[in-house]
This record gives sequence, C-alpha cells and structure tokens, in this order.
Amino acid sequence: MVDLAQNTIDGLMIGSSYGLLALGFTVIFGVMRRLNLSYGPSIMIGAYLGTFLYIQQGAGPLAVAGAVVVGSVLAGVYVERLCFAPMKAGAAIASMVSSFAIWMQLEQAAILVLPRHTYPFPPLSTALPLEFGPFLLRVDHLMMLACAVLLAFAVHGVLYRTRYGLGLRAIIGNPVAAHLVGIPVRRSVLIAFAGASAIGGVAGFLVLAVDQQVTPMFGMWATLKGLVAMMIGGLGSIPGALLGGLLLGVVEAQSQWYFGPQIRDLVAYLVLFAFLVMRPGGLLGEAPKVEIALPQGT
Amino acid sequence: MLELHRLTKHFGGVRAVDGVDLIVNPGEVLGLIGPNGSGKSTTVNLICGLFPLTSGLIMFKGEDISALPPHERVTRGIARTFQNIRLFGQLTVWQNLWVAQNSAEQRRQNPVRRWFGGGGSAREDIGRTLEFFDLAHKRDELAGNLAFGEQRRLEFARAFAAKPVLLLLDEPAAGMNAEEIDQLDARIRTLRDTGMAILLIEHHVELVMSVADRIAVLNFGQKIAEGSPAEVQNNPLVREAYLGTATAA
Repeated sequence: MVDLAQNTIDGLMIGSSYGLLALGFTVIFGVMRRLNLSYGPSIMIGAYLGTFLYIQQGAGPLAVAGAVVVGSVLAGVYVERLCFAPMKAGAAIASMVSSFAIWMQLEQAAILVLPRHTYPFPPLSTALPLEFGPFLLRVDHLMMLACAVLLAFAVHGVLYRTRYGLGLRAIIGNPVAAHLVGIPVRRSVLIAFAGASAIGGVAGFLVLAVDQQVTPMFGMWATLKGLVAMMIGGLGSIPGALLGGLLLGVVEAQSQWYFGPQIRDLVAYLVLFAFLVMRPGGLLGEAPKVEIALPQGT
Repeated sequence: MLELHRLTKHFGGVRAVDGVDLIVNPGEVLGLIGPNGSGKSTTVNLICGLFPLTSGLIMFKGEDISALPPHERVTRGIARTFQNIRLFGQLTVWQNLWVAQNSAEQRRQNPVRRWFGGGGSAREDIGRTLEFFDLAHKRDELAGNLAFGEQRRLEFARAFAAKPVLLLLDEPAAGMNAEEIDQLDARIRTLRDTGMAILLIEHHVELVMSVADRIAVLNFGQKIAEGSPAEVQNNPLVREAYLGTATAA
C-alpha cells in the first residue's frame, strides 16, 4: 500500500515534466494544427548549449537553465522559419515531414559538436529528500511540479486574458478572417512557437537536472513523451496536457514497479492505444473531425 | 481614396480579373455588379491582399499598397466583410469586435493596458458599435450561436470596428429578409454620410440601385460599364451580360 502510494507520488512528479513537454506541444498543435516532430530535438539543442556552458565554464544551474531556454527558443524559431512559415495552410503533412528532416539534422549536429554519448548535467538541488511519514519527496521533483502548474496557469492566462491570446484564438478559429481583421498572423504564430519552445526548454532543463546527464537521444525522448502525454490529455487542451502528463507518469511509475522497466513503456503505449480507440479526443480534448475521402465509385 | 489601375489576376489560364480600372471616392458608395464569375469577389480579395496581383496597381490614399500584407492594409484603413460569413465562432460578440479594432490605434495605447483589455475609450467605441448594429443585447454571446441575420450584422460590425476609411462589403444582403435589407440600406447611408468610401458588391439589384452613387459592371473580368444607376440600367452591354437572368432590373 505504501509502495502504491509512493509510486503514485513519484509518478505524479515525473509526470509533471511530461505535462510540461505536452504543454509546449499543445501550444503549437492547438494554434497551427500541425505536428512539430523537431520539438524535442530543439530542446536537446538547448540542453547541449547548457551542458556545454556547464563543462567549459562551470556555469551554475540558473545560468544553465537560461542557456537551455534560449537555445530551445532559437532552435524552435529556426524550425518554424524552415518548416512551418513557408508552408501554405493545409500543408500540414509537408510541415511534419520537413520537421522530421530537421530532427535528424539537429541530432547529427549535436553528435558532431559533442561526440561522446553522455555528458553530465548540473543538478538542480542536492538537498536530501523530504520525509512525510513513510513517504519521500525529492526537492527537485517538487520544483518540477510547481513549474508545471505555474506555467500551465500562465499559458492559460495569456490565451484567455490577453489581447495577444485573443488574437491567437481568432487565428485558430479562422486564419483567413484573422488576417483580414488586421491580426499579424505570421508574427503571432512565430511568437507562439517561441513561447512553446521556451516551455519545452524549461521542461528539458528540469528533466535533465533530475537525471544529471544528457544524450542526443533526449530529443526523441522529449518528442515522444510530450506527444503521448498530449494525446492522452486531449489535443489542444491546456489542462488536458498537464493531466495527460501526470497520468502517463503514474502509469509508468506503477508499471515499472510491478512489471519492471522493459514492460513500462509497453504499458504506457497500451494506455495510449486504449485512449485512441475508446476516447480519441483524449481526457479533455475534442476528437478531431477527420474527413476521410473515399475513392469515388465502387 | 482608392484607385485601381489595370488590375489583373490570372488563375492558371483563367483571367479572373483582366485590366480593371476603378476609383472609389470618400463619401461615396460604388456598387460593383456583374453575373456570377465575373470577377467581383476576386477584385475585393485583391484589394484586401488575400492573394498577389498578376499585374496592375492598387493605390490607396496616394500610396501603392499592391505589395502590402493584409493586416497592414487593415491598419491603413481597409476593412471588409465576407460573402460567406467568417466570424470567430469560439469568441463572444464583444471579443470579435475587440480583436478587430484598428491595431494602429491600439498601438498608441499603453502596452500593458492593451494586452489586458484596452483603455476606456476602446471599450466605449465597441459599446457604440454594438448599439449601432443592434447587437448590444448579445454582447456576451458566442458568435457561433447567433442567428443568421445577427451573424451578418456582426460581420459588418467587425469590419466597422477596425475604423476603416474604405469599407468593402461582399454581398452583405445575401440571405437577408426585406426588413433586414432596409436596415442594411440605412446603415450604409449613415456610414457614407460620415465620409467613408464604400465598395458594395451585391446581387440584390434593388439595394444597389437604391444606395449606390455610382455603379460599375464587370463581365468576364472586364469592366463593361460605369455610371449612375440610371445610366447603367439602360446600357445595352449590361443588358446583354445579364440576358437570361431575371434580376436584370
């Protein structure tokens, strides 16, 4: 029973980082209805910038965090300019495929610059875990959860309480009309992209500070976790992104404890599969209305 | 105000608009009519920058705006409505107007207030706009939930909220009943009398004949006639273009 509860706590903590990754994903997908596969690799570029400063200059956690966020935003803007801005409305597949190409490019670039497989990453906090009765809580885990909740509220606030957010929602509702009532659509989308990458950068820093190491595989890992959490939580829903992340974290923690690490990912994907079949919109999202064009005649 | 010089747009081999010259003056309603597919909507789309010109010039207040992106044309004072309604259905009536307010004017406001809801004068403006278009009682409703006639009014109101000096109305009367058309007629006159330039595309010939100061007729992308409503009505070319359609007044 204590194990079950402790696993749930650990799962929620790790899940909050998945939630953060999904939050950045949701901002991009919600606004543009396009999938950015380079989302994780952009964060990885930021992480490499951070670890580079750490190894070369001995930078502290705050400076590294700043470098990760700045690096992620720069890489994210690069992806937007290259894969998303030039594509016309409706060219969602072209954007996705080109973002896959940039993923490979970013990964290879990272391997070229820092060729060893693993690099150290500075810890966020070396304080001992807090004890609550039989339960243990890691301080850096708590910071991660706090960041996730705060950023989710911040994103929600920007979207629903500011003029910029209103403009974004207008763009989501009707991009053509948004152009023609004077909303600078391209600039707004670029800002949303940069913001999403910044959220991803924060998530990446927190995850890596807990792991205390970074590899080029982190890019793929971040894209996958963010994507799965977003799909479980609901496409385009901000609270959904957070909830999906937390649920994914708990499912992983429990299955790792009871079935071992090999089975853990299998269970996570089974949960995703179950959601896709039974509730394709996820926890809080609306199922996307997909019109399937059947071939004419029989 | 607005001058089109040899405006031309080809889609592949189709000459949607083919060398059209037009002038719209302040305080004037120019009616633009023609059979289906004659290039009326394309002309409006070119003026507001929805797609690039093949050739020609668009002069607005003495400046060439042919290469400007749509949102900058709005900033300079060009607003439009759509033939098929394009509101922001997920936003409320009030938000639809707020998001459309002239961004040049908004930039002069304190940036913090602009982000969080705009100054008092901006709110008063929207209130007056809602009154003028008889939508005040619906201000907190989602635009997607409005009745059809109300959505048409909101389209018009949203274009007006951008404080344009040139208003492009693309079939504003489509689907309206007689009473609504009378109200529309009155609103267009009121706006014209404030000095606004209005380009009105309309199939409803009675409305155009009643409200337009001048009328230009397009057919196959070319201007075939221009003049007062009476002159256009008696023009043999126009009668020929409309032959077989009952609306040829």
